[in-house]
Amino acid sequence: MIRDITIGRYYDSESVIHRMDPRTKLMGVLVYIISLFLVKNVCWYIGCLIVMLVLYKAAGVPFGYLLKGLRGILLLLCFTFLFRMLYTPGDPLIQVWIFTITKQGILKAVQMTARIALMISGASLLSYTSTPKELADGLEKAFSGLEKTGIPVHEMAVIVMIAFRFIPIMLEELNVLMDAQAARGAKFEDGNILEKCKGVMTLLLPLFLLTVRRSSDLAMAMEARGYTGSGKTSRMYPLVYKKEDRAGYLAILIYISVFIIARISSLSF
Amino acid sequence: MIKIENLVHNYTIWKDENTKSEKTVLDGISLDIPSGQFVAILGPNGSGKSTLARHLNVLLLPDEGTVWIDGKNTQAKERLYEIRSRVGMVFQNPDNQIVGTSVEEDVAFGPENKNVEPEKIRRIVEDVLRKVRLWEKRKTPPSKLSGGQKQRLATADALAGLPECLVLDEPTAMLDPSSRKEVINIVKELNQKEGMTIILITHHTDEVVDADRIILMKDGKIIGDDIPKKIFADRSLLKRAKMDIPPVVELGMRLKKQKIGLDEPVLHEQEMIRKITELYRSKCGGWKDAAR
Amino acid sequence: MLQGKHITFSYQDPAKGKTDVLADVSFEIREHDFIGLIGASGSGKTTLIKHLNGLLKAESGEIFFKGKNIYSKKYPLSELRKKVGLVFQYPEQQLFGRTILKDVMYGPLNLGMSEEEAGKLAKESLELVGIPEEYYQMSPMELSGGQKRCAAIAGVLAMQPEILVLDEPAAGLDPETKHEIFELLCRIREKRNNAIVLVSHHMEDVAQFANRVWVMYKGKIAMDGTPEEVYSRVEELEEMNIGIPQITHLTYSLIKEGVPLPRPAISVEEAEKMLAEILKEEKPL
Repeated sequence: MIRDITIGRYYDSESVIHRMDPRTKLMGVLVYIISLFLVKNVCWYIGCLIVMLVLYKAAGVPFGYLLKGLRGILLLLCFTFLFRMLYTPGDPLIQVWIFTITKQGILKAVQMTARIALMISGASLLSYTSTPKELADGLEKAFSGLEKTGIPVHEMAVIVMIAFRFIPIMLEELNVLMDAQAARGAKFEDGNILEKCKGVMTLLLPLFLLTVRRSSDLAMAMEARGYTGSGKTSRMYPLVYKKEDRAGYLAILIYISVFIIARISSLSF
Repeated sequence: MIKIENLVHNYTIWKDENTKSEKTVLDGISLDIPSGQFVAILGPNGSGKSTLARHLNVLLLPDEGTVWIDGKNTQAKERLYEIRSRVGMVFQNPDNQIVGTSVEEDVAFGPENKNVEPEKIRRIVEDVLRKVRLWEKRKTPPSKLSGGQKQRLATADALAGLPECLVLDEPTAMLDPSSRKEVINIVKELNQKEGMTIILITHHTDEVVDADRIILMKDGKIIGDDIPKKIFADRSLLKRAKMDIPPVVELGMRLKKQKIGLDEPVLHEQEMIRKITELYRSKCGGWKDAAR
Repeated sequence: MLQGKHITFSYQDPAKGKTDVLADVSFEIREHDFIGLIGASGSGKTTLIKHLNGLLKAESGEIFFKGKNIYSKKYPLSELRKKVGLVFQYPEQQLFGRTILKDVMYGPLNLGMSEEEAGKLAKESLELVGIPEEYYQMSPMELSGGQKRCAAIAGVLAMQPEILVLDEPAAGLDPETKHEIFELLCRIREKRNNAIVLVSHHMEDVAQFANRVWVMYKGKIAMDGTPEEVYSRVEELEEMNIGIPQITHLTYSLIKEGVPLPRPAISVEEAEKMLAEILKEEKPL
């Protein structure tokens, strides 16, 4: 339900991974995802999983958070698994009604599900170890070359940051509105589709007005603090590569090399 | 610090696309606020207080009259940012002025946009966060702060622009009593320790008994401008501005009516306690009280 | 009328585990009660009032409305929502109708009344909160701040609740408008003869009108009594981080200084009376 959405889930800790430059981490996640597509044998995923667990451990993020990240896409995982298992042709193992489960199907299902799960866990680790501001700064710096082509990279980074800050507030506001209208007899939980739609209509206008008011207040507050939307800006913590990052890039390089070498040396894998 | 002469501000109200009407929100305001003064502005909703505040930060420009900040006319467009940086603003709803996803990031937002060097930003951030007593919370996301802490953060944001004057537009309207006290104490400290000029807009008369000066507004005009003792003694004036008398002052006035010897208006709780205790002791004799 | 027995409620927080918001709360709202519910932020006030009309369901414990268990399968929750009207903070932000009258009719229509009936109830409620008839066809956005809030309260009143619960109804209003809102509440209680639960940070507001005060602290109702009883316990209230009225604090300090007042006063009028008695009277030596 709408009420359960959480966003911006930074996990505060003083680990090596937290200290790394967000650009290093972005690169790491990118490489990790590529590696997941390089391999086909399910056994390799166990290796990827171990790497992931080591990274979570190094970041000091409890493993519970890994599972929490997956809970949001549980439905997608189940669906992927079932779909792959039932619709992959091959040697039949069991036949139930019109469905045939094949050996290849099971393998494919495990592979696809594991791939998605690992991808999401990797991306979650990035958001657990970098604040939205760091991510925005990292992206801004990584893409700063595009500024010359007229793409407003800096403005986009500010927008991303504000979105991270305000989405939880807006959700909270929506919750209050839902409670208030429910107290006046609106039916969001029970009631038929028509009644639910009518209920939603009563949320839209107030939510719109609140958002407009909030944005104009925020714009005024930003202006009062000297935000001009143009000109040179600086950073409290400018992004500079440190020795953790050199180590990080080295680790990323070794990691991906293993996959590439394995891929080249044995085509059967 | 701030000088205003005959300031007029009109809002345009569009009935539909073609018909519009004008509403005068500020109707000939003249004011002179010297550096280091603690000024409180009181008045009912819609009396023009917030509009006035916005002129001080050059978020609005006069329709008539002139506003000078530090001797500079706010109409001078080319110096807008220079003038604006002299005056920091704190607004009513803390959630609508906090941009960052952590306390220190949020404070750094202003200086970062003015391209201040990183090292100096860090110095400013530490300095202002210590002033509002949030340094220990610098890594905390704003959503985890209490209302009073959020408003203190908003104050730190304003201070990070290194202003000489702080304008606070009903900073306590959405807070609970203990948060209100936190915020007001910080504001008083800034005035006393740093010599910051303070302009505090509020509905709560008990917050401003320590102000150097109280300005009462109604319908876009100033209807009273004096020291708290004089303002709070004038019941009919306060009534016109739709303000309450602070409870301590009210009690003093009622007792005076009953001919119980409180000749001067008493503003502070401590003072009132002392006076009543003295009165009581003189009434029944000091020795009796000592024997108790 | 509404009775709660051993209510507990907690939020699941993945980072910290379970946090109790209500811990074994029992209460009773009687007919025509005017209850002031006070407590510091985070003490569980808002969570408690959401239980009163069934917006939240207690993890354990029971709530009875006129003797019927509201958690029993057969109990219609919509009936409870009608009987217990809840006005949230800044209710004017929740207005959505194209006209004021339509907005106020929303509640009754949801309860399945006819347009005609709903219109009648809406008009009656708007009249009660003092919004003149020429405003009925206007958009809620055209009203002043205080009027908007009154219109929002009318929206709940139109459902004819027997218990009216309001969360900080005067927040953000100037003193005069605030007094008007409180006078309105008294008028509603007189006319409709219903019970009122008023949630507020500000004890001053509560003291004048309530016949009972509940003090919430750490998910419990820590005190339940008349304003005079509750406000006498100054030290405990301070410990609970509840801002006590200045006049109460003043008289409390006087007592500590040895001025023989019967108890801390809850209003300026009372303090005046108490002090006049002591200070005017010529004490024989």
